[in-house]
Amino acid sequence: MNDAVRVESLYKTYDNGVTALDGVSASFATGTFVAVMGPSGSGKSTLLQCAAGLDKPTAGRVFIGGTELTATKDTARTKFRRSRVGFVFQDYNLLPSLTVEQNVLLPLRLAGKRKPSSLPFVLGRLGLGDRAHELPERLSGGQRQRVAVARALVTEPAVVFADEPTGALDMRSAREVLGLLRAAVHEFGRTVVMVTHDPVAAAHADSVMFLADGRLAGTMQRPSADAVAERLAHLGDNTVRAAA
Amino acid sequence: MIAIALRNLKHRPGGFVATFVSAFLGAALLMAFASLLDTGDSESLTSTATIGGGWCLVIVAFAVTSTLSLSVRQRADQVGLLRSAGATGPQLRRMIVGEAAAVALIASAAAVPAGFALGRVLVGLLQNTGQVPSSTEAAFGPIALGTGFGVTVAGAVLAAFATARRTAGNAGAKPERPRLRRIAAVVFLLAGANCSVLTATVMDGKGVDAMQTAGQAGIWAAIGLALLSPELLRLVTAVIGPPVRSFGGVAGELAVTGVHSRARQLAGAVMPVLIFTGIATGTVYMQGIEDRAAEGQIQPAYAQDIQTLNYVVVGMIALFVAVMLVNTLIAATTCRRREFAQHRLAGATRGQVLAMVSLEVVLVTVTGVLGGSLAALFTIVPFGSARADRLWPDAEPWQYGVIVALAVLLTAAATVQTTRRALRGPATAAVRA
Repeated sequence: MNDAVRVESLYKTYDNGVTALDGVSASFATGTFVAVMGPSGSGKSTLLQCAAGLDKPTAGRVFIGGTELTATKDTARTKFRRSRVGFVFQDYNLLPSLTVEQNVLLPLRLAGKRKPSSLPFVLGRLGLGDRAHELPERLSGGQRQRVAVARALVTEPAVVFADEPTGALDMRSAREVLGLLRAAVHEFGRTVVMVTHDPVAAAHADSVMFLADGRLAGTMQRPSADAVAERLAHLGDNTVRAAA
Repeated sequence: MIAIALRNLKHRPGGFVATFVSAFLGAALLMAFASLLDTGDSESLTSTATIGGGWCLVIVAFAVTSTLSLSVRQRADQVGLLRSAGATGPQLRRMIVGEAAAVALIASAAAVPAGFALGRVLVGLLQNTGQVPSSTEAAFGPIALGTGFGVTVAGAVLAAFATARRTAGNAGAKPERPRLRRIAAVVFLLAGANCSVLTATVMDGKGVDAMQTAGQAGIWAAIGLALLSPELLRLVTAVIGPPVRSFGGVAGELAVTGVHSRARQLAGAVMPVLIFTGIATGTVYMQGIEDRAAEGQIQPAYAQDIQTLNYVVVGMIALFVAVMLVNTLIAATTCRRREFAQHRLAGATRGQVLAMVSLEVVLVTVTGVLGGSLAALFTIVPFGSARADRLWPDAEPWQYGVIVALAVLLTAAATVQTTRRALRGPATAAVRA
């Protein structure tokens, strides 16, 4: 199987001296749904942002669909990112002045591409068919996040990264969004990498990757919420023991 | 809450720079003019103080109010945070008003030396033109201090109170009250029109004295039109939006869409451009008409002096408005950091964000310049009719060109520079800020 994303020995140290990534190497196969989990400060969000080209790692390399992202400069990286990478944020980051449809189409328009004929189908599939011309402020949190998912998928990217996509949602909306991410992978062959701290959310993924203190700390196939929760608790123990 | 207000000032002084600058400059100008009343009570002193000071008063009040409401709106997040931590509406109101009062007090105190010096310049000028005997000693006393401190602090507190009512009144942002704003706009425009009519009728044949009413006409009209900025901006966008869209590509489209949904915020940038263009154009051309009309005529002795004084007063006010323009635009652009970051997260390059902002600047300056030119006509047309018996001034267009170029240059430089700064660093950090 070819890899949608591969990261090689990623290091990230912030200006304040905090080391968020301490040599992470990993690959994410095309057509899979992977959850990345770990305690607060384990570096999971940083990993996602570096892999997506939103942040620059201090050292290490990132490949998206076989192309090295870390080798490009800022503007080139943005152009590459908007055509090959989708990103879903916890707090949606929709443009408040744009309608649902305009928000979804924004990455395409910025890349100078036309509106795809499949748009009404996609919006309908996401339950937003009758909302295309509304502003985000008129939508519920769950609806906003579905718009964000649509925006992330619209360019048919090699990979969609999702950073705590259900963190601000109620349980029902969260389930809907997770169902959509799953459908994107299993019905449409996309690749999704999702950071979450919620074992229930992680159970929707095909596999889970654990991080602790900026390092890989194991994986789990076909996760269940209980197994993930127990592993996470264990992970905490290990970290404490290692530190002591 | 007052304690929190003072902590805010200490912790984030940068957030108050815009308010401080406008309060400082305003207080200095007011003190300078009011100090003429401390100096003596000859007619020249009193009339310069009341005319110059009166103009300043209106413009300073307007400037302080608009900067203050901008800076309070910028901090909507912090207000929301305090509210969720349990702060009540009245508590938040006390905090916002307390901050404004503290900033205005500090700014007024800092303005004392500048006001003192400017007052001396004014007295010197009046002495040079022989309106005040050279034996007169420039004084700086209770009237200067009282007016400077009183107007600045009271204006800031009132403005803060009005803004706080909107920001902290209820959970969830209240929509602005366009009706109140529109009514105020109509009142100012009527006042301007009234002065225009007076200039063309009652003041016809009164020579240089017509300047008083003509000058006021333009200022009232400029303020009235500035209050209508959101409507003017939408109008201009409706007309020049289509070409901006087709030539500007996606950046043009975003700029035009942005104007529609953010007309109110962008209107804050239109206001100073409009007032600057209006006052500068009106006064320069009024003076031009006067100069021509005065050629070969026997003038009252004070005409020459009024001319000089007029230029000085207008120069001061134009400078003040220019600083306000830059001040407002920097503040308005800085608070869009998060929005810019969201565009970048959606895939916009820095260049695309900059292009979008530049096209917005085009819409803003076109609106401001057109509105300002319209306001200037409130001065120029009736004054021309009263003084030279012609509605359209026999004047050269290059002065207008210089004023417009200056407005465009100031607006573009302030906005683009600030946008560049707001685009620094990774978007993921900016979006959290």
